Formats: sequence, C-alpha cells, structure tokens
Amino acid sequence: MQKYEKLEKIGEGTYGTVFKAKNRETLEIVALKRVRLDDDDEGVPSSALREICLLKELKHKNVVRLHDVVHSERKLTLVFEYCDQDLKKYFDACNGEIDPDIVKSFMCQLLRGIAFCHSNNVLHRDLKPQNLLINKNGELKLADFGLARAFGFPVRFYSAEVVTLWYRPPDVLFGAKMYSTSIDMWSAGCIFAELANAGRPLFPGNDDDDQLKRIFKLLGTPTEETWPGLTQLPNYRPFPMYHVSTTWQQVVPKLNSKGRDLLQKLLVCYPADRLSAEDSLQHPYFVDVNPSVK
Amino acid sequence: MAGNFWASSHYQQWLVDRQDLYRERAHDLKVLSEEDYQKIMMLFSNVIQTLGEQLKFRQQVIATATIYFKRFYARNSLKCIDPWLMAPTCAFLASKVEEYGVISNSRLITTCQNIVKNKFGHAFNGEYPYRIQHVFEAEFYLLEMMDCCLIMYHPYRPLTKFCADLNAEADLLPIAWRMVNDCLRTDAPLLYPPYLIALSCLHLASIVKQKDIKTWCAELAVDMDKVMEITRMMVNLYDLWKTYDEKKDIQAILARMPKPSPSRPPSEAPNLQDSQQQQQQQQQLLSSVP
Repeated sequence: MQKYEKLEKIGEGTYGTVFKAKNRETLEIVALKRVRLDDDDEGVPSSALREICLLKELKHKNVVRLHDVVHSERKLTLVFEYCDQDLKKYFDACNGEIDPDIVKSFMCQLLRGIAFCHSNNVLHRDLKPQNLLINKNGELKLADFGLARAFGFPVRFYSAEVVTLWYRPPDVLFGAKMYSTSIDMWSAGCIFAELANAGRPLFPGNDDDDQLKRIFKLLGTPTEETWPGLTQLPNYRPFPMYHVSTTWQQVVPKLNSKGRDLLQKLLVCYPADRLSAEDSLQHPYFVDVNPSVK
Repeated sequence: MAGNFWASSHYQQWLVDRQDLYRERAHDLKVLSEEDYQKIMMLFSNVIQTLGEQLKFRQQVIATATIYFKRFYARNSLKCIDPWLMAPTCAFLASKVEEYGVISNSRLITTCQNIVKNKFGHAFNGEYPYRIQHVFEAEFYLLEMMDCCLIMYHPYRPLTKFCADLNAEADLLPIAWRMVNDCLRTDAPLLYPPYLIALSCLHLASIVKQKDIKTWCAELAVDMDKVMEITRMMVNLYDLWKTYDEKKDIQAILARMPKPSPSRPPSEAPNLQDSQQQQQQQQQLLSSVP
C-alpha cells in the first residue's frame, strides 16, 4: 500500500472510506476504496466480490476501471481510476444549466456503458446520478457495481432503497422477479430527463405508492391491455386511472423533439417494450453527437 | 456473466502453459510422483464434488470451485495451505461468486465434518479440524493468489451448443457432459480453453456411441491437435481409473504429501509468511499516513 499516497477523503460508503490517492511511482491519481473484512458471517462480502469480479472483466471507457486490488492485513483495497466527481455533484454545481450538447454527450456515453455491460450479460441494477462518475475530460463512467454509493452524498435520512426508488421501474415496484436489461433502461430514461432538466429528478417519489403514482400521472396508468401480465405481478395493486395531461414538451422543455422521442421510448411501463441500449444508440437523436465522444 | 471469452481474465491470465505448471509443481514432485500428485488432485475434486452435492450446488458452481482449487495449487505447494481447508474455501467462494447465495457458516463446517467421516473416512482420520474463521482466512489468500479473477468459463455451454448443432442432444450430450465433469480431475481446465475441452469430450462421446461426427468436425476452424492433446489426457485418466482404488491407496499417498507445519495456523504457512509480514509493514506505513 505504500505505493499510494493518500491525498484526501472523497466519500463514505458502506464498506468504509474512499480516498483520493497518488501512485508514488507513476504519479497517477487514483481512488482507493476499502473493503473491511469483519470477522462475522460472510468473509469477503458478496457485494464487494461481485464488484471486484465483474469489474475485473469489464474493460470499457464508459465503465470505471479497476486498476488493482491490494491485499493487506484483514483488508482489501480496491484501486480505481480517479474521476473528479459524480453526476449528482455535477448537477449541484451546474446552476440549473447544462448545455444540450453535453446532455447528449453524457447520455450517449451512459448508453454505451450500459450497452457494453448488457452485451456481457451484466445488469447494473442501480443506475443513478451518484453512480455515474464524470472526469475532467467530460467522460462519463458507470461505477458502483454492487458496492454502496461511495462517491455519492452520504445517505442520511433514507434507506438505500428509498434513494434508489426514483430510478426504479414500475415492474420492479410491482415486485417483478424476472427483470432483465430493461431495468437499467428505465433508470437511463429517468437520468436522461434529469440531465435535460439540469438535475431536477423526474420521479422523486417518497415511497413505492407515491413513486408509482408519479410515474402513472405522467405516462398514464397501465392496464392489462397495454401491459400483458401486469395484474399477475407479485405486488400488483390497482391504481386510479390517471390520464395523461402533461406533454413531453412540458416535462423536458429544453430537450429537442428527437430527444423527447428517445425519452418516450425508454420510459415505457411495459418492460418488453422499452428500447434497448444498443437500439437507443442508433436513435436519430445521436446523429450529431459531439465527435469527441465518438 | 457470459461475455467475451477472449477478453476475459480466464483467457488472458489463467490459461497456463504446461511447462509453467510443472515448474511450479516441481517442489511437490520431489516427494510425490506425477501420478500421486494427480491422485491427490482427484481426491480433492471428489471432496469438492461431494461437498457441492450435499450443499445442493449446481454443477457449474462445483466446477468453478474445483478450478479455483486447481488455480491455487498451480501456484503453490500443497504444504502451503492444507487442501482439506482449501477445498471448502473454494466451494464457499464459488457459491458467492456464482450468485448461488451465501451458504450458512455452520452448514459449511458441519457438511465438512460429515463428509470426512461418512464419505472420506478412507482418506481422513479423526475430527475435521477447521472452523469458519480458517475458511475466511484461506479465502483471503485464495482471492489474492487468483488476482481476483473469479469469473469462469466452463465447457458446459459450448458443449450444449455443439450438441444442438449436431442434433445430438439425446445421444451424445449426456455422456459428453459427464466427461466434462471427469475432465475436472485432470490439468486440462488450466491448460485449454473450455470450448476445446467441450470438443474433446464430444469427440470421445462420439467414439463411445459410435456416431460419426468427422464431417462436422472438419468444418470447424479449431486446432485439432490441441483437441487430441486433451483427448489423450482424458484417455490417461480413464486408464488410471481402471486400476486405481482410491479407498485402498490414498492413505499412503497422503502420508507422503507435503504438509503445513501443524503448529502454525494456515495463514502463516511458509510461502505466504513473507508476503504477509511485508503486508503488515505496509499496513503500518499506511495507517501512519493521516
């Protein structure tokens, strides 16, 4: 571990503290995330193992790179590439204004990262702004594969589930057990809208019911006709029949019509009809994406 | 995870070549013959298989655990960590990685106690000595030794595809599948990519079932020499099985096996001690950083 000089604390996660550090030999800046091995019940925590073994295989410029895992007395330290901030902090610092080209560039990179994971049969399952890292070159990277939000704001009042709730698709809210890549695509849609609105969350629900109501008020309450199998879901319960009264133009006023079209294709209640990451990248919205992203 | 094998850590870091394998093993081969060494590996593959079956693991999880075991001893002497501890450790780690869910600690240890008594009495005398803390400790070394490469590709998936392509799900698949399981008793999984092992087992199955698959094989763009090398390893294994009686012979072999010094806990086995001390020093250095 003397290879690294700790610089400053950058976050607090379930598994301990995250530090910014410098590799003394290469001078490269890295993030150190520590996994404490408590002598209780499961040895190396399975969520940490999951992150380690998946990131060991997933090498892509839109997925945070795990450089190394350092073993020391009763401790594992994960050495990650360093990113300056996460998307949540980026939102907080943007003063309610994000250039449409940047929205497009971030969205494109998010979808590429997701498409890569999905092509490796990896579901992220917890996409949200806190888990998307941004470096100073404007590159966006998926992070936190199974570990808690080490880079995000400390969660004070809500359980992890409530915070994640905002990006959770209706099928999962109804207790669907068989979710697939579509789970990440819903989250991507929510994040897209939040990007377009410079950090205003699309569905900031307080609990499962409130979350579903917010979704159905915008998209209309689904029925067995629009969503085959809906009523068979484990936690299905009827909701009032909301009729769509807001236009997409009102929801995301700064997003152009192609962007609105893509957003609508991601935010589809019936999971089988949600656009895939691969198909999303072919959407006309991205025709003129900044060449530096390409 | 079923991604791209060619970009995987399995392919890039964990297909070793035969010479390296023998060089690492040289220390143990001073006291054991090659055949004895293989018999020890076969015993512990059986231990992991039995343990996995008792814990109701899928075969895939058992295969992963078996290969973790092989990887550990591909880089370490048998005296480094007692294989009777390493076997359940591999099963424990594999169950977490393969998302089987964590098995309860007491269940893991109880199952070990039961199987050494009821199934491996011919190889193990007395009470099973290890506790879950020993497993945690060994898990840590196992992870480090494997450089955290935990995702494994197995021959089962390519085998199933090949059989579907050949329309041989009914006749060749079951027998070739069992041969893939048998193959875990050889060095082949450390040396060859899974699809070649699948092909070799399929080839052997076709001979047993007298089904001609030559035309199908001829269309494959694979290195048939390698397939034949694996086939030879399998044939050698089956020859060995014809004359080998584990129940009768294994005690004498295990008596010769290099063992950890009994006074030391597993974490202080000789080969690891140096690196551990080093790490402790590093740790002290680190904790002195504000």
